[in-house]
Amino acid sequence: MRRRALLGTALLAAPALAQAAPRVVVIGGGFGGATAARALHRLGFAVTLVERNATYLSCPFSNAVIAGLREMEAQRFGYEGLRREGIAVEQQEARAIEDRRVVLADGGALPFDRLVMAPGISLRPDAIPGLDTEAMPHAWRAGPQTLLLRRQLEAMEDGGLVVLSAPANPYRCPPGPYERASLIAHYLKARKPRSKLILLDEKDAFSKQKLFEEAWAALYPGLLEWVPLSSGGKVVEVDAAARVVRTEFGEHQAAVASIIPPQAAGRIAQAAGLTDRSGWCPVDPVSFESRQRPGIHLIGDAIIAGAMPKSAFAANAQARVCAEAVAALLRGEAPAPPKLINTCYSLVEPGYGISIAGVYRPANGLLADVPGAGGVSPLGAPAATRAAEAGYAEDWFRTITADAFG
Amino acid sequence: MPALASQPAGAIAEAMLAYKAGERSPTVMDRIARGFTEAEIRAIAAWVAAPR
Repeated sequence: MRRRALLGTALLAAPALAQAAPRVVVIGGGFGGATAARALHRLGFAVTLVERNATYLSCPFSNAVIAGLREMEAQRFGYEGLRREGIAVEQQEARAIEDRRVVLADGGALPFDRLVMAPGISLRPDAIPGLDTEAMPHAWRAGPQTLLLRRQLEAMEDGGLVVLSAPANPYRCPPGPYERASLIAHYLKARKPRSKLILLDEKDAFSKQKLFEEAWAALYPGLLEWVPLSSGGKVVEVDAAARVVRTEFGEHQAAVASIIPPQAAGRIAQAAGLTDRSGWCPVDPVSFESRQRPGIHLIGDAIIAGAMPKSAFAANAQARVCAEAVAALLRGEAPAPPKLINTCYSLVEPGYGISIAGVYRPANGLLADVPGAGGVSPLGAPAATRAAEAGYAEDWFRTITADAFG
Repeated sequence: MPALASQPAGAIAEAMLAYKAGERSPTVMDRIARGFTEAEIRAIAAWVAAPR
């Protein structure tokens, strides 16, 4: 597979186009897809964005909605900005991807010279026997699940046990479960101080671990307990109606449970034959072109990106690189090898932010860390540093949402 | 805080090079600047400062 991919970009240079501007279709209007549509439009292409929803709800900062620190409407972004710029937005589902055309739910078709897909994730609750996502919301896509989990926490009596789970790698937003645990602990500490929170983890290590543990020891001692894989962190089964969560080592009687199931690339990527046996999409790390279907590029959470995490920041960076690569290929040129950046902020309580950053480049068919770059916030930093990073997190959110949605 | 795009390319490049060298108080930029060569930093600065 790797060998096939290395040939990919060279062989697939420009279809011999007539004078008309090449047509590029983007599927998926999240951080990756919306950024890609705008970047491609700026490069002079006729761009159509296919997105089934009228508005987008941001996952970044949605843990704050769960904890009652923020309202859902602050997460909502529309596509008016894209339409104003001249991007055609088709609000319907893409049903199939045929040779050089996208078939839409209404039976229409969109021909393309290049297709960019940002299909996000699909969740696999069936992988956990007994799981009913209404009784135990994952809230891993911002929307009704986010508000459901918030209402369950609000309705819980003081003294209840909140059980959260974190899946094995890879999954969307590696630090997300730990930020969620932190902000729910913050809510419990203020509102329901006799309650406890257990975070069951299918891993023995996680993103920003030392920083989270430092914060938990200071802010939530005796309230928040992290259970790693080796201590029985893997959820093997649940009784959703009784709110019982079973692990390899025993069981927990929860008052509220949020179980985050394993994930895979969005369903359309699977249906279109773009995923491999892992359930994720292999791509060329220079052009983001699929290793399985030439002419189709993939970005964001759905791809196998090596060291680069599944984050909104990463999707935005990949979208910009992918747009330039699409433009180069349509000119008949080879795309230049990129460097990409990611930064993820997490809040452990309001005004206390921590971050991880990385710089990535193509290496051995994947994206690899640039040695010597990146890393996490310092341990033992003064409160002013944590407050500054909480502020940077909000600045980042304003910047990236403006960049993606206009 | 002045907008980055209003700064001359030279000033942006010098600031990023100082972060790379660990000479400015650390934020996230020191961690990112270390991932780029001086030539790349000057190219980024020129792009950021270019009128659009």
